[in-house]
Amino acid sequence: MTKKTDAHQASFRDPSGYIFYDGKTLRRAIKPIYFPQYNKLKESGFFKNLISNGLLISHEETSVSSEEIIITPEEIPFITNPYEWSFEQYKHAALHTLKIQKYALSKGFILKDASAYNVTFHKGKPVFIDTLSFDFYEEGTPWRAYKQFITHFFGPLVLSKYHGTEIFKMMQTHIDGIPVKLIASMLPTRSKLSSILYPNIHLLAKMESKHSEDYKAETKIATLSKKSQENILESLYDYIKGLTLKEASEWGDYYNKTNYDEAAFEAKKTLIKEWIKPLSPQKLIDVGGNDGTFARTVIDSVPHIIVTDIDSNAVDYNYKQLQKNKETNMLPFVCDVLQPAPGIGFNNTERNSLIERLADYAPDVTMALALIHHITLSGNVPFEKSASFFASFSKNLIIEFPTREDSWAQSLLVRKREFINHFDFYNETEFEKGYLKYFDLEKKEVVKGTKRLLYLLKNKNNEV
Amino acid sequence: MNFLYFDPGLGAMIVQAVVAAAAGILLFSKNVMYKVKSFFGLVKEEEDTYDSIDIEEEDTNTDDKKN
Repeated sequence: MTKKTDAHQASFRDPSGYIFYDGKTLRRAIKPIYFPQYNKLKESGFFKNLISNGLLISHEETSVSSEEIIITPEEIPFITNPYEWSFEQYKHAALHTLKIQKYALSKGFILKDASAYNVTFHKGKPVFIDTLSFDFYEEGTPWRAYKQFITHFFGPLVLSKYHGTEIFKMMQTHIDGIPVKLIASMLPTRSKLSSILYPNIHLLAKMESKHSEDYKAETKIATLSKKSQENILESLYDYIKGLTLKEASEWGDYYNKTNYDEAAFEAKKTLIKEWIKPLSPQKLIDVGGNDGTFARTVIDSVPHIIVTDIDSNAVDYNYKQLQKNKETNMLPFVCDVLQPAPGIGFNNTERNSLIERLADYAPDVTMALALIHHITLSGNVPFEKSASFFASFSKNLIIEFPTREDSWAQSLLVRKREFINHFDFYNETEFEKGYLKYFDLEKKEVVKGTKRLLYLLKNKNNEV
Repeated sequence: MNFLYFDPGLGAMIVQAVVAAAAGILLFSKNVMYKVKSFFGLVKEEEDTYDSIDIEEEDTNTDDKKN
């Protein structure tokens, strides 16, 4: 019998089963109510086919009894949530869901839900992680997860086309997707002329409010042929595939705008490589890592790397690059260090906060290059506070400190105008004073050809 | 066995008939346009790294029993 140490907080919504921690291993328990589905999915080769096509996370059957079946899915080192995805990632997650639904339909199954949380990124690609999301298809029934697909995927994607990827952050405040009415109200009037947007959003919003008071479930639901449902899936697929963003990047071409030359750029790369090598990290995070340029210098020697950036376009560029290079050990996602994703949902524990996930991930090396001046000067975060943030999850920290003389630090300081004196603390001595409360100084060097210092710091608290 | 653990939305169930009809017309006209365009050699390669909606089946011997 498997010992259950801790039920996972995110798995109470579906009565078919739940996930739990057995020590450090994540397992999934299936209840008898779902046995018929599970057995059929397994015996028909449906699971096997989805898994071999890389669409569904693989699992092993751990134990079978008449009360429950336990399966153990392949471990995913770090879970990202929809509000942390870039445009291309969000798009791929949506296409992934439609693809699975279409395949399921052809095999006599359906996706009974289309939650964006059923997809995450693993090995450079989207993967479906809710093994119990399938149910039998009943001839003639419409897709019951259709509305969820619109509120979780289609709506946010269409809105981002008009308003930018900041829209995805609305998923933080609406755990079951952006309400259809709200989506409709945020779209321009001309979207009513679109043969896709009108029926899938405007008409849907109208029908939803018209039938919202049918408390006794009296209205009859018309049948929908399988072919018709396939048409819906295909038209949504085509439309989403063709979606593009209009917004230009603030940081996307960052490396063309650096304030130091090629030689200094290479010197920084070499230094980082040299420092990381003896640490032989298994896991590394680059906070504010832009498109992953610096993390890529060690991609061959570190088994798992995550790269975050505030700029969705940089993350997008990174994601496209890793798909092109077929890199499987890097995971990019969007994160604003000054406002990391909070814990959301019931009890605030359904989806873990970024801080909790980072602490669980426990990277061996944390990199924070060209970041501290933004945290300190744009965010007004004192050194001691940012140091305690990094110390909460980092064993080793490689941090770059642009001195006051650095032109970018300069420009941030100048923007303080009459308050510039309030930021006299932005200097080497104060930086070290703040950071050495939490870390021990291992190495410190000037990046050649720049006015920047690079530090290697080791956490005083060994238990991180 | 049709248990719902979330509300699928009645309107959303009903609207699908209309959505499907619109989709059918759209897909049909797209198909025609595609044929016309490829006849004149105007079809462009797509850049997106995500492939088509259809799954290539490698292992179908067990699945085929079902259908």
